[in-house]
Amino acid sequence: MWTGSITFNNKLGPQHLHMAVRLPREFRDPVPGQFVMIRPIRGGGPLLSRPLSIYQFMRDRDHVILEFLYRVVGKGTELLSQLAPASGVNILGPLGTGFRIEKSRPQRILLAGGMGVAPITFLARHLEGKVAPKHEMKICLGAKSCTEIIGMERIKGLRGLLDIATDDGSMGSRGLVTDLLPDMTRGCDPRKTMIYACGPMAMLKTLAEQLAPTGIPCQVSIEERMACGVGACLGCAVAVHNRRGKRTQKSVCKDGPVFNIGDICWDQL
Amino acid sequence: MTKQKNHDKEGKLAVEIGTLKLKNPVMTASGTFGYGEEYAPYVDLNRLGAIIVKGLSLKPRLGNPSPRIMETPAGMLNAIGLQNVGVKSFIRDKLPYLRQFDTAIIANVYGETIDEYLRVSDILTAAAGVHALEINVSCPNVKKGGVAFGTDPDMVAEVTAGVKGVTGLPVIVKLSPNVTDIAVMAKAAEKAGADAVSLINTITGMSVDVEKRMPHLKNVTGGLSGPAIKPIALRMVWQVATQVRIPVIGLGGIMSAADALEFFIVGARAIQVGTANFVEPQATMSIIEGIEAYMKKHHIVDMDALVGSLRV
Repeated sequence: MWTGSITFNNKLGPQHLHMAVRLPREFRDPVPGQFVMIRPIRGGGPLLSRPLSIYQFMRDRDHVILEFLYRVVGKGTELLSQLAPASGVNILGPLGTGFRIEKSRPQRILLAGGMGVAPITFLARHLEGKVAPKHEMKICLGAKSCTEIIGMERIKGLRGLLDIATDDGSMGSRGLVTDLLPDMTRGCDPRKTMIYACGPMAMLKTLAEQLAPTGIPCQVSIEERMACGVGACLGCAVAVHNRRGKRTQKSVCKDGPVFNIGDICWDQL
Repeated sequence: MTKQKNHDKEGKLAVEIGTLKLKNPVMTASGTFGYGEEYAPYVDLNRLGAIIVKGLSLKPRLGNPSPRIMETPAGMLNAIGLQNVGVKSFIRDKLPYLRQFDTAIIANVYGETIDEYLRVSDILTAAAGVHALEINVSCPNVKKGGVAFGTDPDMVAEVTAGVKGVTGLPVIVKLSPNVTDIAVMAKAAEKAGADAVSLINTITGMSVDVEKRMPHLKNVTGGLSGPAIKPIALRMVWQVATQVRIPVIGLGGIMSAADALEFFIVGARAIQVGTANFVEPQATMSIIEGIEAYMKKHHIVDMDALVGSLRV
């Protein structure tokens, strides 16, 4: 468990915040898709920490900075949203299994719905720094309306195609982020492509149905309530197919949060 | 992580639960510490008095559908439904790792029928590296077995006597608070030969999303744990400790050394840390250190001088 200090915790909208936490240099480098369990140090806060996906990571000489994008969805995140700069937080992490980057699949399509933009941005910036020129990246963002399309400045400058969809059509095309997929995948070679997605379960379920006939592999980062973050409480179980096709359970915190889309039993959700 | 200090089974913190000797009275509660390995990056497992693993059944169990947990004021509800790898996989895949530690390994046993309790106990007894059995007659989140056995003193006695008949290991019976008089259950377990009782398991509870008018848990009800239940647990441990001769192991909302000390003072010979592991993975370590510091400060020579020292 690390003790961190908030450097900023800015409101980006009525419910959306962008927070940065300074941590000791011993904090391990996270990979995109990993998360932390976080809670305020001062009492009166929630009992359990809350899982937050990592948005950005920066290593300095004597410290590291972790950034998060989050939305107030309940008491835990509400209390986090009230923390002023210099407030202390307890952080456990980095946790979980992040996105796998396969060299043999240089055509990458990234889809983010709502707060899914946080890990997808981390991944996009990570890929930007790594890939050779022949590698290709397309990014699709989706949200309810333009006010909820957040963190654009971190994505705009990246090499690669960017497309946006909003439910009300206030930015980009009207519709869901998954509606952008047919255009994005047109003509792509399923053997050289990998889709990465994070967003609400309904979006990911739609994606699973869309992709099933195409043969294009996809990694999804999913969300579930969790207590421990380390695979002990079994609170965040998700039904998956094992190698023999039988249904079993995995822990989102430890086995995930990133899973192959085809492994998840979407009919159980 | 601080270095291990007290490995001494004759040390100030040493306790005995039947024939089971522990270097200190701090255990991890079943279902809150996985199979031990999950917490190894955070906790020196050698420093724990005992590790009680997740409840084991004869066959692997998938548990309940999600959502399975919900935070509530000063506590949490869970309805995991005893998801576990099954006793055979535990012995094959989890126990070898645990054997390397100088810490008692206690297997928590669950069955849907009495026969299943006996078969699981039998299999665990034959496996090297299990030092005691904790019989779960108190899980509130399964349809069969669990608490169904823990709310009827005759059933508690039957399971206890049956398990005692197939094992030479110390047998701890884990009791449910969801009864009118928990002391009746404790006495039934004692009479049937239990070496100790542990209490309390979670208290059945519920939480509703008012916007959706739906329960927060897919299972509708769940077991409440955490600081919210500590006063109830403490009262029940006190009640039971004054009515049975066998050791009482206290649990329910212990977050700190001060919480643990309350349990010792009302009569618990050992304690279990549960929900606190989720909140602070190193909770057990600071609890052990806090108990040591308290005993030093108050010149208490051993656990015997502390247990049941309540002045009323």
